[in-house]
Amino acid sequence: MNRPALILWIGLPAIVTIALLLVSYQVKGLESELAELEHAALTQQEEIHVLNAEWSFLNRPERLARLAKRHLDLAPVAPKQLITFSYEPLANDLAAQDFAAQNIVMQNLVTHSLITKGLAQ
Amino acid sequence: MSDLSVRSWRKASDDMSLDTGDQKLSARQAGQPLETARTRLFVAGAIFALCFAVLGGRLVQLSLLGGGQSQQRVAEQQGGALTLQRADIVDRNGTLLATNLPSHSLYVNPSQVLDANEAADKIISVLPGLTRADIFHKASAKGQFAWIKRNLTPEQHYAVNRLGLPGFSFEREERRVYPHGALFVHTLGFTGVDNKGLAGLEAALDDDLKQLAATPGGKMVTALDSRVQHVVHAELSAAMIEFKAKGAAGIVIDVNSGEVLALTSLPDFSPYAPGSSKASQRFNRATLGVYELGSTFKTFTTAMALEYDVVDMNDRYDATKPLKVARFTIRDDHPQNRWLDVSEIMIHSSNIGAAQMARDVGAERQKEFLDRLGMLSPLPFELAENGRPLAPRHWREINTMTIGFGHGIAVTPLHLISGFATLINGGIKTTPTLLRNDTPQTEENGGERVIARETSDSMRTLMRMVVEQGTGKKAEAEGYLVGGKTGTAEKATVGGYKKNALITTFVGAFPMDAPRYAVLVMLDEPHGNKATHGYAGAGWNAAPVLGRIVSQIAPMLGVMPLLPSSTEDNNEDDNQDNTQLLVRAAGKGRHFASY
Repeated sequence: MNRPALILWIGLPAIVTIALLLVSYQVKGLESELAELEHAALTQQEEIHVLNAEWSFLNRPERLARLAKRHLDLAPVAPKQLITFSYEPLANDLAAQDFAAQNIVMQNLVTHSLITKGLAQ
Repeated sequence: MSDLSVRSWRKASDDMSLDTGDQKLSARQAGQPLETARTRLFVAGAIFALCFAVLGGRLVQLSLLGGGQSQQRVAEQQGGALTLQRADIVDRNGTLLATNLPSHSLYVNPSQVLDANEAADKIISVLPGLTRADIFHKASAKGQFAWIKRNLTPEQHYAVNRLGLPGFSFEREERRVYPHGALFVHTLGFTGVDNKGLAGLEAALDDDLKQLAATPGGKMVTALDSRVQHVVHAELSAAMIEFKAKGAAGIVIDVNSGEVLALTSLPDFSPYAPGSSKASQRFNRATLGVYELGSTFKTFTTAMALEYDVVDMNDRYDATKPLKVARFTIRDDHPQNRWLDVSEIMIHSSNIGAAQMARDVGAERQKEFLDRLGMLSPLPFELAENGRPLAPRHWREINTMTIGFGHGIAVTPLHLISGFATLINGGIKTTPTLLRNDTPQTEENGGERVIARETSDSMRTLMRMVVEQGTGKKAEAEGYLVGGKTGTAEKATVGGYKKNALITTFVGAFPMDAPRYAVLVMLDEPHGNKATHGYAGAGWNAAPVLGRIVSQIAPMLGVMPLLPSSTEDNNEDDNQDNTQLLVRAAGKGRHFASY
């Protein structure tokens, strides 16, 4: 056998071996990265789970009612605060049945409610 | 390599034979070791080649085929979903009502403990709730394992970890958490330390909750509404204080689907410490307790009498004086001392009238009717606590008459509200459920018709009149057309009734022109106060509580109030819903002759 063949037969396995080793290490690295990511995902899911519970805890209606009473000027909706398009004083406006008329109705509604609140004249 | 050396070796031996000059001899003598060496070399070469082949093969296996493990792991943890032992429970809007949170439990392996005395001292310094002797005993005992404390809080976990005691370790566990605390305790129930449901929904649907947990994202969607539950809970709590009541129960139910939006029994207890609560706190008055619910039963009597055509709305009964039957005397709580028609019997809650109506229907038909309403057997409800109604074994005439006004039969409040919902939803049997179910129980969906639509319409009219003119006036919630019936009953004790121990009930629904929700309020032994002029009847306590509940939950549930102007003017409107007309007109006492 000649020298080039010898070099080829020694060199090729060496290169393949080194390449395989490198790939193998890379795969191992990726595997541990995957495991880490999986663990992180699981940890985050767990955190989200705990935060969901906390969210529900902080949104207890009893607590919200207490806070709203202290900080906001809100009360349950009274029937007289609600109005519909069939409301008698507005029924004639609605008869036009087009958007322009509805806009006027909406405007009237807003003005009406502002006046009753004493915010407009 | 071996080829090379053989060749050079052979060359050398050739040279040697030349030197000796005896070629033949030397060749023969030299041939023997040469053969041996060749064989040895070949064997050695073969062994080396084999070794290298094995190594090479292993290398290929490790580097190229070794990925199986990770592939498997990826396949296993598809999405890496968090799996828990028990599924979450959410309300109809997705609000979390119960969930499992990871926690750590502390245990000791006594064989690894160095100094049990020191360990006990240190543990007690961070977990003061435990007893020192107990820890010492566990840490110095023979064996490999003993629990010190289950489900530590994160702070406790950290504190114990910081002690760095050998022999003390943690086991990851799950703990059932109820973010709303006691609010749902009589509905959801609670679980034990091993995540087994011990009461309420948790116990009744224990297996379902465990199975649901296995599916990713699986959760149990209940019919409950935490906002409605809160309103009912808050109003009942306030009423218990206001009227110095021993207990209370409240239920809100969708009359068409049977979904239970709220279910409360007071007093209640913490789901984390059921053991330290009293029996009276753990007792579910809404579904387990059976009570004689008094006059609310007149709704069933009237519906039954109308359904069997025994009476019509204009028929009158003599209520001029107490009614004597055998050795009993039936009296009215709100005596009118005159002849009353069917609507007046309801409005003034006349026992005498209801008893006579029941007698005219007869025992057999009454029993059958109540049975069809589900009043005589436990409800198929998703709770571990389902009360069995108490009804007379021998259904005699006197029983028929007393049952006509709600005495001599004991049912749970849930029975009452389900039966009531059936009467006013158009006549289809309402089966209560805690699970979300959007399909209304109609005849097309296999719903069972109990009373005719016309009877149901009449009942709605009557219920509305009770609130407009009768004993339930204080239950009115402006704009929401509440209708219902009061019930004040003396509590039964051994051999009779307790005069001053009352069960007051109001069962109602809204809006009465097209009922959507039924509400029940029950107070256990309420007392009169200054505001009620000393009266303790249902009209004075249960009714106003119901009115307050309705006015708060109706906007939440999207019930459109009847506007003040349209209530007066719409009677002549032909397009108006007929039933709506019926209620309003009857409410004003006009169109009565049409019955």
